Amino acid sequence: MHELSMAQGIINAVIETAESNNATEVNEVTIELGRLAMVNPEQLEFILGVLVENTIMEDSKIIFEEIPVEIECHDCNFHGKAILDDKDHYAPIVKCPECDSFAIEILNGKDIVVKNIVIEKPEDD
Amino acid sequence: MHQVADVEVAKNIMDANKKLADRNKKNLEEKGIFCVDFVGAIGSGKTTLVEEIIDNTDYKIGVLAGDVISKFDAGRIEKHNVPVVGLNTGKECHLDAHLVGHGIEDLPLDDMDMLIIENVGNLICPVDFELGSHLRIVVVSVTEGDDTVEKHPIIFQTSDVVVINKVDLADAVGADADKMVDDAKKLNPNIKVIKSSLKEGVGLDEIIACIEDAMKN
Repeated sequence: MHELSMAQGIINAVIETAESNNATEVNEVTIELGRLAMVNPEQLEFILGVLVENTIMEDSKIIFEEIPVEIECHDCNFHGKAILDDKDHYAPIVKCPECDSFAIEILNGKDIVVKNIVIEKPEDD
Repeated sequence: MHQVADVEVAKNIMDANKKLADRNKKNLEEKGIFCVDFVGAIGSGKTTLVEEIIDNTDYKIGVLAGDVISKFDAGRIEKHNVPVVGLNTGKECHLDAHLVGHGIEDLPLDDMDMLIIENVGNLICPVDFELGSHLRIVVVSVTEGDDTVEKHPIIFQTSDVVVINKVDLADAVGADADKMVDDAKKLNPNIKVIKSSLKEGVGLDEIIACIEDAMKN
C-alpha cells in the first residue's frame, strides 16, 4: 500500500518535532499534498489513523492543504499554474494553460510536506 | 496546566527518498555504471526484456529485481549468469531509493558497467519514487488494453522511453497499438516510443540502441 510509507514518514516527522518541543499531545497536523503526488488523501488519512494508535498523535486532527501544480512550458515558455484535466482521473493530466502543450516541465505539485503541528505542552516549559 | 503551541515542521516527506536516489546515482557513477530502471504493469514483459538485454548485449550487467515476492523474477534472471539481487517489497507497491541503496551494496559493482532495476509491476506508485537511475523505461503491453496509456498519464509523462510490447497480439485482443503510440506522444512529446514483440525479437535492437544513446549523453 503506497500510502503506508508516506504515512510512516509523516508520523516520524510529526513525532520528532513534537518530542523536541516537549509536547504531551499533538492536537492538529497540517499536511500539504501535491496534486500530482500519487496519494489519495482519504486513504492516507485512513492509514494515518491506524498508525497513530497509542502515540501522542492519537487524537490529532489531520488537515490537508493542496499544493497546486506549477509548470514551465517548453513550447511557449509559460511559467505558472497548470490546467488539470481530472474529470475522469484522480491523477490529472497536466498541460499548458496558454498553448495546450503537453511538453511541460512540472516544477511543483509532487511533494508531500508536513507544514506545522499544534501541540500541548506543560505550562512551565 | 498545559499550553497550546503552533510549531512549524516544514518537512518534505519526498525529500528523504530524493536524497537517497541522488546518492545511489552518485555511487553508481563513481563506479562508471549506467543505470536503467524498468517500470510497467504486472505481465507487461519487463522480466523478459531484462533477459533479452542480458542475452543480446556484451555489457557487464547486474540486476535488482523488485517484487512483492522477489524470488520468482530473480530466479529467472539468475539463469542468465548475471549477478542479481531480489528486493522484496512485501506489502509495498513500489521500490524506493532506500531499498535500491541496500540492493546496490550486495552487487559486485567493480565487475559491472550497467545496472538494471526492475520495479514492482505497477503503473501508479513508482511515479513518486526516484531510484537513482539515468533512464526510466516504461513497458506496457497491448494486452492490458489500448486505453492503458491515457489512463495512467503521469508515469508516461515522467518516463524517458515507452516500450509498447506484445504488438503481435494486438488483433487477437482487439487493441490498437498505434493509439497507444499516439497517446504516449500526446502526453509526453519528448518520450521515445518503441513497438515490440519480445517473443519474436521485434523491437529489441531499437530498445538496446536507445539505452546506448542515453549512455553516451
